[in-house]
Amino acid sequence: MKCSHLYRILVAVMLCAVPLLIAAAKVGDAAPEFTATASTGKTVRLTDYRGKYVVLEWHNNGCPYVGKHYNSGNMQRLQKHWTSQGVVWFTVLSSAPGKQGYVTAGEENDYLTKEQAAPTAALLDPTGEIGHLYDAKTSPQMVVISPQGVVIYSGAIDDKPTTDLQDVQGATNYVSLALEQSMSGKPVQTPATRPYGCSVKYRD
Amino acid sequence: MLLCVGTARADGTPIPHGTLELVAENQWIAAGHTIHLGLRFQMEKGWHIYWVNPGDSGEPPRVKWQLPAGVSVGEMEWPTPRRLGASSIVDFGYEDDVMLIVPVHAEAAAATQGLAQIGAEVKVLVCREMCIPGKAQLSLTLPMKSQLPVADARAAEWFASARERLPRPAPASWKISVADAGDAFVLTAKLDPRVAQANFFPREESQVKDAAAQQFAAVPGGFRLTLRKSDQLLKPIEQLKGVLVLQGDRGYIIDVPVRKAVAVRGDAVSGSNAPKSSKEVTQK
Repeated sequence: MKCSHLYRILVAVMLCAVPLLIAAAKVGDAAPEFTATASTGKTVRLTDYRGKYVVLEWHNNGCPYVGKHYNSGNMQRLQKHWTSQGVVWFTVLSSAPGKQGYVTAGEENDYLTKEQAAPTAALLDPTGEIGHLYDAKTSPQMVVISPQGVVIYSGAIDDKPTTDLQDVQGATNYVSLALEQSMSGKPVQTPATRPYGCSVKYRD
Repeated sequence: MLLCVGTARADGTPIPHGTLELVAENQWIAAGHTIHLGLRFQMEKGWHIYWVNPGDSGEPPRVKWQLPAGVSVGEMEWPTPRRLGASSIVDFGYEDDVMLIVPVHAEAAAATQGLAQIGAEVKVLVCREMCIPGKAQLSLTLPMKSQLPVADARAAEWFASARERLPRPAPASWKISVADAGDAFVLTAKLDPRVAQANFFPREESQVKDAAAQQFAAVPGGFRLTLRKSDQLLKPIEQLKGVLVLQGDRGYIIDVPVRKAVAVRGDAVSGSNAPKSSKEVTQK
């Protein structure tokens, strides 16, 4: 009994340590696979979406930089536009319990309704596992994965690292740019930028 | 109102979890001279603001100046920052009290009488565990004169302690070189063999991996610091600029050309550089 308990703890510790030991994915690397629970309760496996473009959006509903893109409707517009083009869009919630931006599945579903957000799914990542796999530093950090499963963009949502709503208009959106360039067979011209925003509230 | 005269705290404009005040080192602005203004942040315990390169997250304070004709501001002087955070996300900034210094120059043809109204619209991100954007409209009225500017006694101490915290130029006798070693920059400093600890703050974003440990190694006559490259750095850089902090205390401004290293081994990449020969090596 005692032994198996210890073993279970050991396995748990090893599982937790794994994302930290593996070098996080950067642009040009194969996108690390993950399995996550969506706010709808559905299990989501990245590997099931091979063949499609996948966008990862790190989210924290209390972060003013995230607020800029939701209060202006920019994020919802991007979600609606790109999912209508066949792109898969995952909002990733890596805040640990007790930290800013942590939400239960129900709270997230209410938020999505209230904000009229339209991601393919919102993924609950309270252990920070997905966040660490992609070395997500901030919300709203954005990652774009190609149909071949390669990270083709990681960084800021756009080129205006501020919390001002009026900066949304006229900004160069790096996510749209990466998707447009890649879809037309061109190399992504700006594949990596500093992901501005609030630090991801990982567990300590 | 009268009771407030002479008390420092009373003049601060509230910002999230702190106050901000625009102060002048001198009693007036003089045509043809440069004086200094200070943006004096006083933060509640545990809250911080950011350096010009904020690191992994955050944003430096931004100022929009409103100035009278013939008066202009120069480049902001940033005190040596601290590393904030210890995990996979590291920021650069200031906790508690900090003053940013700004030179203000009046042209020779500027007015020599009347009052100068100086306005500063400051946007500042204040963070602890969470971040709150703040905005303050500050103003300062100073006489315009032709006589040499005279120091303001109230501000003298603030400016003296703020200057103490400014990084200073690296002494010319120091030999500092930087080599590009593929996934890292190797900074070799020949300055004082007694230095046992050093830390580098990159002035530009997206060059050095902010959260990575900076490996310190003693070499004859100095030390070597290995700085992991940022994942966002996709092109070689010509110069590495930043602040080198020795013994966790004094900061020095460095701006060093980056040499392409063939191998990182012992002293091979350090010492004074011979640009011609290193170029030949690179081009092989």
